[in-house]
Amino acid sequence: MTSTEVTPAARASRSRGRGDGFRLLGIRLQPAWFFIAPSVLIILVFIVYPITQSLWYSLFNWQIGATNQEWVGVGNYVKLFHDELFWNALRVTATFAVVSVASQLVVGYLLATALAEDTWINRVTRSIFFFPTIVALTTIGLVWRFLLDPDIGLVGGILHTIGAEPIDFLQNTSLALPSVIFVSVWKNLGFTMVLLLAGLKAVPAYLYEAARIDGANARQLTWHVTIPTIRPTILFTTLILTINSLQVFDLVYVMTGGGPLFSTDTLVTQLFREGFQNFHIGYASAIAWVLFALIMIIAAFQLRLFRYNDVD
Amino acid sequence: MRKIPVLVAGGLVAAIALTGCSSATPASSGPVKLSMWTGFTGGDRPAYEALISDFNASHKNIQVTMDVQPWDTIAQKLPAAWATGQGPDLATPNFDPNVISKYLETNSLLPLEATGNGATDINLDKLAPSAIKAFTAKGKLYAVPANIATLQLYYNKKTFAAASITDAPKTVTEFQEDAKKLTSGGNYGLALADHETIQMWPVLQWLDGADIVDTKGCAVIDSAKSVSSLTTWANLVTKDKVAPVGKTGAEADSLFSAGKAAMEINGPWAAAGFKSAGVDFGVAAIPAGVNGTVTLASTVPLAIGKSTKHPKEAQEFLAWYTGKSAQTKFALASGFPPVRTDLGADAQLSGNAIVSSFAAALPTARLYLPGVTGATQVDSEVYVPFIGQITRGEDVAKAATEAAKKIDAITGCRG
Repeated sequence: MTSTEVTPAARASRSRGRGDGFRLLGIRLQPAWFFIAPSVLIILVFIVYPITQSLWYSLFNWQIGATNQEWVGVGNYVKLFHDELFWNALRVTATFAVVSVASQLVVGYLLATALAEDTWINRVTRSIFFFPTIVALTTIGLVWRFLLDPDIGLVGGILHTIGAEPIDFLQNTSLALPSVIFVSVWKNLGFTMVLLLAGLKAVPAYLYEAARIDGANARQLTWHVTIPTIRPTILFTTLILTINSLQVFDLVYVMTGGGPLFSTDTLVTQLFREGFQNFHIGYASAIAWVLFALIMIIAAFQLRLFRYNDVD
Repeated sequence: MRKIPVLVAGGLVAAIALTGCSSATPASSGPVKLSMWTGFTGGDRPAYEALISDFNASHKNIQVTMDVQPWDTIAQKLPAAWATGQGPDLATPNFDPNVISKYLETNSLLPLEATGNGATDINLDKLAPSAIKAFTAKGKLYAVPANIATLQLYYNKKTFAAASITDAPKTVTEFQEDAKKLTSGGNYGLALADHETIQMWPVLQWLDGADIVDTKGCAVIDSAKSVSSLTTWANLVTKDKVAPVGKTGAEADSLFSAGKAAMEINGPWAAAGFKSAGVDFGVAAIPAGVNGTVTLASTVPLAIGKSTKHPKEAQEFLAWYTGKSAQTKFALASGFPPVRTDLGADAQLSGNAIVSSFAAALPTARLYLPGVTGATQVDSEVYVPFIGQITRGEDVAKAATEAAKKIDAITGCRG
């Protein structure tokens, strides 16, 4: 036996001490676990538990505080399937998401490109576009609701001054949704612009130089250098905007309340009405789960697209 | 030694967690503290606050704290709070009196038993009968009216004079003719809100002897009388443009305040805003219909949570709140009629033009969809969209037939 040999006891001790924790009931405990425990606990109590509980609620004709809840199984989901207001809300939500996300991406990209150069005027202009992002959605909604009022609003007043008929933007069933989408795009444009700007700034200059040497024109630089390089940023932005758009509530609630004639009624405004006005908690939970599933599917699809393109 | 950081970390987390736990507050021998949630965020808020202040000053053993929140917030928090034995001692659950039935389903309300004729009792016989009826279930009273209001006709005197109309309309025909005459140059004869408001359209139907549901909760909105009445009013909106389309209550108020509408059907709460906007207005009774005068009454329930630890003191507060002196003061401060029926002879109240006008309408005032199953849903998912449809030119008879089917599906009417 040499001095470098390790005794079985020392080996056991070293094994036990591997990592920074100790074993309890066969599980290795590390200090980090204790430090993340409060966060995990909060997530479990305030996110995981309510989400799973709402799934349970959706299987009942749930009444808050009632001692006996009526079990309906998938009844709420079947009812949803036959509810014309649900299909209307789904259509409105999808329209809102597709149009607002696409508009924000296109206009945000154009803005980011136009304001990419670091001049003082560009910095000021970027700040102006970003300003609505930091204002509360409710405030934005109230202000625009007033501005768009055909009788006493600023827009109606301007139209009246130039001899045109005021337009009932939020009272007309055909114009209400486009108006709300416009305000949403205006509000979030700065956020999209900043994300895309960060992506644009990260594109290596040598790629452009190489492409120019190969004779690429401006359109080719955009399609074959800029957009492929900032693809991760575009997909991240798309994902965030899509999730936010599918959950839209505040702006619609303040500007139109889902009207007129349900033309701006989204899944979340319907959920709110069923849960907190009609007290149909089970039915509202079913709507929440359909929305949850919808967001998960779309997010998974976008992430899959992201991964595929990267491998590709 | 390696166990030490682990144990320190564990101890630290435990200490942080336990910091949030405090020992029970020792029992206090001071006054009983009652909490009350209300949604009185409007111009009438100071009148309620003055009442609470008066009560606290005169009752050293009971102190009430009023927490004013938006109605939406109360609607989200109160059902769960009361159903789980938490929340305030008292609350106005909603501005819709029909909400009481929802709280009864979850056994959240304390039945009020401190009723009687004494000065410290809730004088049931002296309170507005329509409100008491709405708040009574299976012979038990579950709330008192925090307020009661009627809708009357506000009219702009200046606009009337400009159109050579000397007085407010007295009949439905005059009402309709005046509305047409007052509509010109981008101004409306009547500001008619159709959502986010105390409903005005039922009054127009009632004037013609029509209704939305019958006493059994079955839809009669598609009856010949109802269709005829609604067709007349819808034509006035769509063809004669006497009123704007798709306005909320606040937007209709703004039109009247801005002098862009000559008349508006509204409650006493609007008077202060119109005054501050500098409108020279009068308040008149709703024009008489085929069955005489009729208007809509609205009342906000004030109830006690079943799990309150101070049921006696909470009921004492309600008895004081609905008492003569409190209601006289409240009516004068807010313009609302008193919730009592025995203050008609009060000189101060009868001398106040606004209060007396709205109080005069109480005997013929009706609640909107009282006792109808799913009344809130009938309003938000059927009646409001229905009015929206017919004021946008849809065929009234066809829309009424569809609305009737939906109403019956919600109320469970089997015809």
